[in-house]
Amino acid sequence: MFQVVVGHSNDPDGVAAAVEILEQCKSALQSKTPQAGILFAAPELDHRIILEQICQTFPGIQLIGGTSDGEISSLLEFQQDSVTLMLFCSDEVEFIATVGRQVSQDPIAIARQTAELAKAKATLPPRLCLTSPESLTTSGVTILEGLKQGLGQEIPIVGGTTGDQWQFRATKQFFGTEVLNDSVPILLLTGNLKFGYGVSNGWHPVGKKGIVTKAKGNVLYEVDGQPILEVYQSYLGDIRPSPEYRLAVYEPEGTHWYMRSSNGHYDHASGSITFFADIPEQATVQIVHASRDEIVNAAQVSVQQALERYTGQEPAAALMFSCTGRLYVLGTRAKEEYVIVKDSLNQSLSLNQQLPCCGFYTYGEIAPLKLQGESQFHNETFVTLLLGCQ
Amino acid sequence: MDTIDDLERQIQELEKANRILTKKLERSEKNRIQLEETHERQQRLLYQAIQGLERSLHELQQAQLQLVQSEKMSALGNLVAGVAHEINNPVGFVAGNLCEAQRSFADLCDHLNLYRTQAPASVLEEHAEAIHLDFLLEDLPEILTSMEVGCDRIRNISTSLRAFARADKDYKVPYDIHEGLDNTLLILKYRLRANESRPAIEVMTDYGQLPLIPCFPGQLKQVLMNIIANAIDALDEYSNGLGYEAIEARGNYIKIQTSVIEEQAIIRITDNGKGISEEIKDNIFDYLFTTKEMGKGTGLGLAIAHQIIVEKHGGLLEVNSQLGEGAEFVIRLPLTDC
Repeated sequence: MFQVVVGHSNDPDGVAAAVEILEQCKSALQSKTPQAGILFAAPELDHRIILEQICQTFPGIQLIGGTSDGEISSLLEFQQDSVTLMLFCSDEVEFIATVGRQVSQDPIAIARQTAELAKAKATLPPRLCLTSPESLTTSGVTILEGLKQGLGQEIPIVGGTTGDQWQFRATKQFFGTEVLNDSVPILLLTGNLKFGYGVSNGWHPVGKKGIVTKAKGNVLYEVDGQPILEVYQSYLGDIRPSPEYRLAVYEPEGTHWYMRSSNGHYDHASGSITFFADIPEQATVQIVHASRDEIVNAAQVSVQQALERYTGQEPAAALMFSCTGRLYVLGTRAKEEYVIVKDSLNQSLSLNQQLPCCGFYTYGEIAPLKLQGESQFHNETFVTLLLGCQ
Repeated sequence: MDTIDDLERQIQELEKANRILTKKLERSEKNRIQLEETHERQQRLLYQAIQGLERSLHELQQAQLQLVQSEKMSALGNLVAGVAHEINNPVGFVAGNLCEAQRSFADLCDHLNLYRTQAPASVLEEHAEAIHLDFLLEDLPEILTSMEVGCDRIRNISTSLRAFARADKDYKVPYDIHEGLDNTLLILKYRLRANESRPAIEVMTDYGQLPLIPCFPGQLKQVLMNIIANAIDALDEYSNGLGYEAIEARGNYIKIQTSVIEEQAIIRITDNGKGISEEIKDNIFDYLFTTKEMGKGTGLGLAIAHQIIVEKHGGLLEVNSQLGEGAEFVIRLPLTDC
């Protein structure tokens, strides 16, 4: 058995929102007790009250989550300034939540220890790890590296880093009743779990490829020996760097690539641009382009990939992680992402009722690019994760 | 009647709706500000893009002009050996005649000096016979005339080369196309002559009454040079497969005919060379298309010719040909500037 329910409220009052999502979930659970949950909430809500209400209602629940730039669910579809909760009940799957605190002090070690602790608590070998780590105090790429070291490269890690609605001041992570920052909460799943993931962004590289000749973490200085600010200015003229500055970063094998987008910070003196995530030196990079149609269609590609890769027959729920950069570009069309995913799921699965879905707009998406591949950190990407026991 | 509970529930729902609407309004205001910023950035981007396109267009135009000029100089470069030979001939006979003239002049001076010293008639008579005075008086003007002809030929070739190499003004000027054709033929004259593999190519001109045509004369001569040089190439290639006598029997020729039809100046350049296949005809005006050996053709000549006639002059350049039956290039130019 693997039952998943969803609550979603767009009430800006924290108490009222908590009451509403819990009523929705309890009604759908029909007296079953969930073992785990994942909560995505707008930054301005009173998160402590919401978390306390959930934990009081379901004592012992393994709960993680974080602040988001936009929320998605099968109840209210796409929303901003809302809160959405997904709860999991299963007698075949085990859920273990752990958290690493002050992760910026030593991201790799702390993330590794967090994963190792979850593994130690589990009674069965890990199958999948969900996470919603910090995005601003440290690099998501190094957190992911630590998690991979702790779990083993073969365990897929899927999730997204927390957001703060383009303020870039502070994001929050949730662990039980705690509202944290600079932390990495994870939810490890073991047992008879079936899953499938899909990753797509809709962008395509254009122009000349270049080699990163100088980069430090998420600050890119030079491509082919030329300051990156000059490289962009040769394309875009004297325009302030903004999140529209995006790059395709090729994996060493040269075919697959992932996205990086700028957070808008730049330094005239060194000619550098800061990105949402690390860019490795000696990587091949290329400027990317996409239309809004292509970006929306990527959500469908992502869900189709997830369906094709699903290890069972009948998924019980879907989690979605879409980039806040996509939300920025899509504007009023952002709601189409969920609609296209919903239609695709309905068409492929011929369900009697809507598959429970939950997701959020992140500052960086995490999922393997390909089947049996290592988990990868992405920007501007739509990640779909299907879960179930059948 | 509603119960108090119902009313309270309705009030709560209205309060919730009010909270949501207030939040949505706040979000809407944020989005509006963001939209304005994005709009401003897009405007600047568009402005930059337009400026970039204008700059690229200008650079492209400059590059095209340079390409046309360098193709012209390349064509001229190919002709240098022949033109040098063409100049050497008159230079040779001017130089040869100059020695003869100097000697004759020295003999005449000696004879005049005898007169000045009032030498006896018998001495004068004897000297006149010694220097062949009668022949000298008859021959010297002819020597000078022949030198003058030689100098004229050198001057004509030099003028034609200069006219060919000269860059055009950036506006069209009225020009006598027949002068352009004659200049071109003069530069190419050495190539028309007989050589060891074929007899001379006969050039037949049939010039109609053409007014001065508004054009870029340098560019137009480049086109004429290209088409006539190609005709000579075609005849050379055709001759390679035939014996000297067989060629002599059929005769190699290039016909140039000009006329005015329906407000257009028509220039037809026809040869009886090897002709052009359908496949080659389809690509003949494409950039970098050439059927010539490596190093002989740039693949730019006819492409540039087509560009000059069609884009620069608003005219037409057509080719009519069948393999083995020669080729005809037809240039149509408007009589008035368009």
